[in-house]
Amino acid sequence: MSEVAVSIEHVSKKFRLYHERNQSIKSAVMRGRRSVHEDFWALKDVGFEVPVGSTFGLIGSNGSGKSTLLKCLAKIYYPETGSITYNGKIAALLEVGSGFHPELSGRENIFLNGSILGMSKKEITAKFDEIVDFSGVEKFIDQPVKNYSSGMYVRLGFSVAINVNPDILVVDEVLAVGDTEFQAKCAQKFRDFKNQGRTVILVSHSMTSVREMCDSAAWLSHGELVKVGPADETIDAYLDSLPGASAA
Amino acid sequence: MRYLKEVLASRELLANLTLREIRGQYKRTIFGQLWSLVNPLASMLVYTLVFAFILRVEPEAGDPSGLDIFAVWLLCGLLPFAFFSNVVQQGMGSILGNVGLVQKVYFARIVLPLSKVGSVGYNWLFEMGVLVVVLVIFGAFVWPWLPLVVVTMVLLAIFAAGIALMLAVANVHFRDTQYFVSIIMQIWMYLTPIIYPISLVAVQSDKYGGLFGTSVTILDVYRINPLERFVAVFRQLLYDNRWPDPQDFLLCAIWALAAFTVGLWIFRRSEKGLAEAL
Repeated sequence: MSEVAVSIEHVSKKFRLYHERNQSIKSAVMRGRRSVHEDFWALKDVGFEVPVGSTFGLIGSNGSGKSTLLKCLAKIYYPETGSITYNGKIAALLEVGSGFHPELSGRENIFLNGSILGMSKKEITAKFDEIVDFSGVEKFIDQPVKNYSSGMYVRLGFSVAINVNPDILVVDEVLAVGDTEFQAKCAQKFRDFKNQGRTVILVSHSMTSVREMCDSAAWLSHGELVKVGPADETIDAYLDSLPGASAA
Repeated sequence: MRYLKEVLASRELLANLTLREIRGQYKRTIFGQLWSLVNPLASMLVYTLVFAFILRVEPEAGDPSGLDIFAVWLLCGLLPFAFFSNVVQQGMGSILGNVGLVQKVYFARIVLPLSKVGSVGYNWLFEMGVLVVVLVIFGAFVWPWLPLVVVTMVLLAIFAAGIALMLAVANVHFRDTQYFVSIIMQIWMYLTPIIYPISLVAVQSDKYGGLFGTSVTILDVYRINPLERFVAVFRQLLYDNRWPDPQDFLLCAIWALAAFTVGLWIFRRSEKGLAEAL
């Protein structure tokens, strides 16, 4: 097997389901204890490796733990047990336009958003034209982003994120942004990524796009890893498991 | 050490977030940055009317500056306190106010409260600049003391940042904190000699003598308040134009360091759980 970009080992993640949550001091004092809760394991002993330069899909039904795993990969959640090791710089794209300030101009927001995503000012300046070009909002770049159409807003956010140029890119179903033309541009960008030997991990419900883009895939169900392997096989196995599989 | 390195690496992000606050704050207002002066100015007018004109509070004249203007004397204490109070209250809400960011992007969370220190500090700098001009107009010789004023301002910023870090975490777990703290801040202001001179407290303290048969006086307890020291140092430098009392100055530094260390420690410990707890 080739080099490993991300290695996920025995990752488990627990959430507390609160029956009575004490978010006020009054309730904490009155009840004398902090809260009543029950543990829910969103991920149970998940482990697999993502090879360098591959495009890796995470599939599974709603509530299967895909997004939780993605958030663990993005270092937003920290797993209770197990570890995730990265081989290279990672960037996560869970939402586009995070931290945009509506009153600031597109230009100012590119710098703000870029630095939130971990780019230095120098990098952003160097990439500025590319970002603006990719987003297709040149004409409005000095307007406050609150006046942008929702499509423009998302496109600008996506353009910044895609230009972070990490070794490993983690993407949550954000592919469905913009019009057809923009989506084609994004798909091209992902292909370029791959050609440059970068790794992409994406979560999607669209089996067509996963099949089209990914080499390998992992199928999660109720927090457990069911199958990991080449994309086609994993997707077929997943589709077969669904009721009314033939329709898919 | 690694944590410090990470925080240092996010200084550009800190700068950008601070700029976001500053630029976004007075967008689409006609008076812009002038608004940051209106609040302290309004308080100054009210307090001067009530406490100097009606209640006849008379602070001692500045020694050796010879200044004897209640409003100016008041501002030397009021501006630092307003800064402190704003940093604590805004910094405390900074994590809750950026839920979208915290839950979607990984970055050193500490930049959120710290950016508030930056943006409130920017306004404060502006206010203090105006105060210095006023002091000069009324004949105070402040210039040689300005470097020390800046040092004290930095110390107060560190102190405020420490408190804000602690409360930011507390506020995520208990949303009551913000309401609680706004009351505490009001009480705290009246427990600090801002609108009345500390000499009035000393008079009362002497009347009662040692508390509960000990040699500890009311004044001793009163002076535990770190803000009392800060206000004293600011007044000594700006209003009196003399070297600050070494003990006061040292205590400011110790308080600042202690608050920041504890704040950083608490914040660091709970940083990882923040996205979940929100």
